[in-house]
Amino acid sequence: MAPQYIIGIDLGTTNSVVAYAPLEVEQPQIELLPMPQLVAAGTVESRTALPSFLYIGTEEETASLQLPWSASSRRVVGEYARRQSAEVPHRTVVGAKSWLANSRVDRHQPILPWDAPDDVEKITPVDASREYLEHLVAAWNHAMPDAPLGDQKVVLTVPASFDAAARDLTREAALASGFPADFVLLEEPQAAVYAWLVQTGDRWRRLLNVGDALLVCDVGGGTTDLTLVSVAEENGELILQRKAVGNHLLVGGDNMDLALAHYVAGLFAEQGLELDAWQSVSLWHRCRQAKETLLGPGGPDTHTISIAGRGSKLIGGSEKAEVRREAAAGLLIDGFFPECRVSDRPTRRRTSGFQEIGLPFESDTGITRHVAAFLSAHGESSNQSVRPTHVLFNGGVFKTDALRQRLLDVIGGWFEGDGPTVLAGQHDLENAVARGAAYYGFAKHQGGVRIRGGTAQAYYVGIETAGLAVPGAQRPLKALCVVPIGMEEGSEVDVPSGEIGLVVGEAAQFRFFRSAVRKQDCPGDLVARWEEDEIVETDPLETTLDRVAGIDEPCVPVYFQSRITELGVFELWCVHAASGNRWKLEFSVRQED
Amino acid sequence: MGRLSVAFRAFFAALFSQEAARRLGAALSGQLPPTSRERPIRQAQPAAPVRSDALSLLSALQREARFVDFVQESLESATDQQIGAVVRDVHRDCAVVLERMFAIRPLLGEEEGAEVEVSAGFDAARFRLTGNVAGEPPYRGKLGHHGWQATQHELPSWSGSRANAMVICPAEVEL
Repeated sequence: MAPQYIIGIDLGTTNSVVAYAPLEVEQPQIELLPMPQLVAAGTVESRTALPSFLYIGTEEETASLQLPWSASSRRVVGEYARRQSAEVPHRTVVGAKSWLANSRVDRHQPILPWDAPDDVEKITPVDASREYLEHLVAAWNHAMPDAPLGDQKVVLTVPASFDAAARDLTREAALASGFPADFVLLEEPQAAVYAWLVQTGDRWRRLLNVGDALLVCDVGGGTTDLTLVSVAEENGELILQRKAVGNHLLVGGDNMDLALAHYVAGLFAEQGLELDAWQSVSLWHRCRQAKETLLGPGGPDTHTISIAGRGSKLIGGSEKAEVRREAAAGLLIDGFFPECRVSDRPTRRRTSGFQEIGLPFESDTGITRHVAAFLSAHGESSNQSVRPTHVLFNGGVFKTDALRQRLLDVIGGWFEGDGPTVLAGQHDLENAVARGAAYYGFAKHQGGVRIRGGTAQAYYVGIETAGLAVPGAQRPLKALCVVPIGMEEGSEVDVPSGEIGLVVGEAAQFRFFRSAVRKQDCPGDLVARWEEDEIVETDPLETTLDRVAGIDEPCVPVYFQSRITELGVFELWCVHAASGNRWKLEFSVRQED
Repeated sequence: MGRLSVAFRAFFAALFSQEAARRLGAALSGQLPPTSRERPIRQAQPAAPVRSDALSLLSALQREARFVDFVQESLESATDQQIGAVVRDVHRDCAVVLERMFAIRPLLGEEEGAEVEVSAGFDAARFRLTGNVAGEPPYRGKLGHHGWQATQHELPSWSGSRANAMVICPAEVEL
């Protein structure tokens, strides 16, 4: 059946949103899909955001966990799961998306909920993501029985900082949940730019000029994603090009609310009140409101936070604390958006030898320092930073004016002259990514402005260099560039290299690396030395060479061929020149112990 | 049925029941009782929701704003300051629930105190006229209260059992 709708899906770390528009129209009318979800046992309500939480219920609860489209299940996604995450943490999966990007764990092993006791059924990060997506798909199919999602045009967003392996795992989860085979992945900050474009209409050509550099600063609940988009001219038309993306930073709005909650919990402790888990979570939510009130325009000098007692007594059991504006501002503005120089870098806590497995949360929560590092890494030369002329904010955090203003002031202070301009408009900060994704799909189908960019990262295969073996020393490793930064979708490249021998009938594994900063490397370049953060190891790639007719040798000489498909999927092949046979390398996310 | 048997049954029915005697008398005098009309077969109704919307709303207000806790609590010994501190939170959280479910908006866009016109054939559910109501519409008058209306009606659905339909919030037990 021909697709009737374009569907943009923002699978967020803390919330997921579905936006859609009919395809066969001149101007896309983008709507949000209300998604039925459990909000309490036995109670289903429709909301436009689906919290990305998964609660694994007990046998007794099963009967009360029904959805309009399914009989009871022990796995619950959405608002009820989010509520349960606070009080029943060992049965709740949180932040599955961040786990998907964590190459230090095997994402096909049932490891979530992390730290859960043995008798709780566990689930893999890929399956948890599939559960979220299945809920979205079911909500769509329930609302649109005549236009099942599997027949529509679908765009799914991923963080710009997701590497090829994390994108591959996301794709796997999406296909398993009933996405059409031709669905497209789009970087979240780009989706935010599309949302701005659809809202601004043709006026954008007057607001931006050739040579402008647009910094997209997307601070979500759990992650911060940075992207640079430049404005260029081609055949007399303005075009947008995605120039660079930042690293995957695990710091976001939730950290801010939590920081304030810790502070307020301290105030309660001074009054002799120790909060239990339930009260702490209630405090966390109160702190989000307190942040928006205190730091909003004309905010009060103090804000009272009261924490109700646990039992049915509300007034008798309540305690309150006064939070001063300066204290909150100091904690949040200076803590997360500190004044700094463009030459400053995030501080790292060095761990020696032992590093705790788990999510690699940022040790430096100073987002401005991460921005400084990002702009410096992508300057024309090593001592020159990119100067953003415009800033586009995305994410619920930036509902707070003071945080936007601080970031603008800090960036403005790094350069002579005027600071960056905010790309304004009635931003729908929480739904912009899904809306933008829908618009992107629409533009792809019907024509419209598109951001060019190609791959955000360069990819390398690790090659052990030949040479005399030195006992106790590893052979030096070189990185063979197989995909350059900016490789376009729908293109293919044969990687020039010395011959690589693969043994027939055996699994061949290659170490695999990525870099978001080395723009100079071309396919075939062998990099011998790099800075620690310049090239980062990711999941290995492997393939098994079956015995093929026409190849008698036990060891087959091959070269690499890399492809970026029209759908933005990265593929690496080993090609045997003489016979034309080729074998696809797959990510091996299973970890060797 | 045999005639004898009918005669016996009529005899005893008339003897013991006034109503039967009346109907038998009518039948003997030639007035036939109306044939009992076929009762319409009851349509298979969609299962009525086992919990009313009102209880669902109450449950949501308790879950998100602790409204029931608040109303059920005695204010006798509480100071206005204590009550005030709690009311702020209950008020804000109730407003969030009502906004999401009903999106309550003023019925009339005019400012209160402004002069408004009520045309002929107005609906008494939308306008309540007070004061010197005389003469023929259209009426002109001062808007005392702009009225409220729900612009949507999005209540949660409930899938629990009939036995638990009256439960507003579950008891909590910490393990």
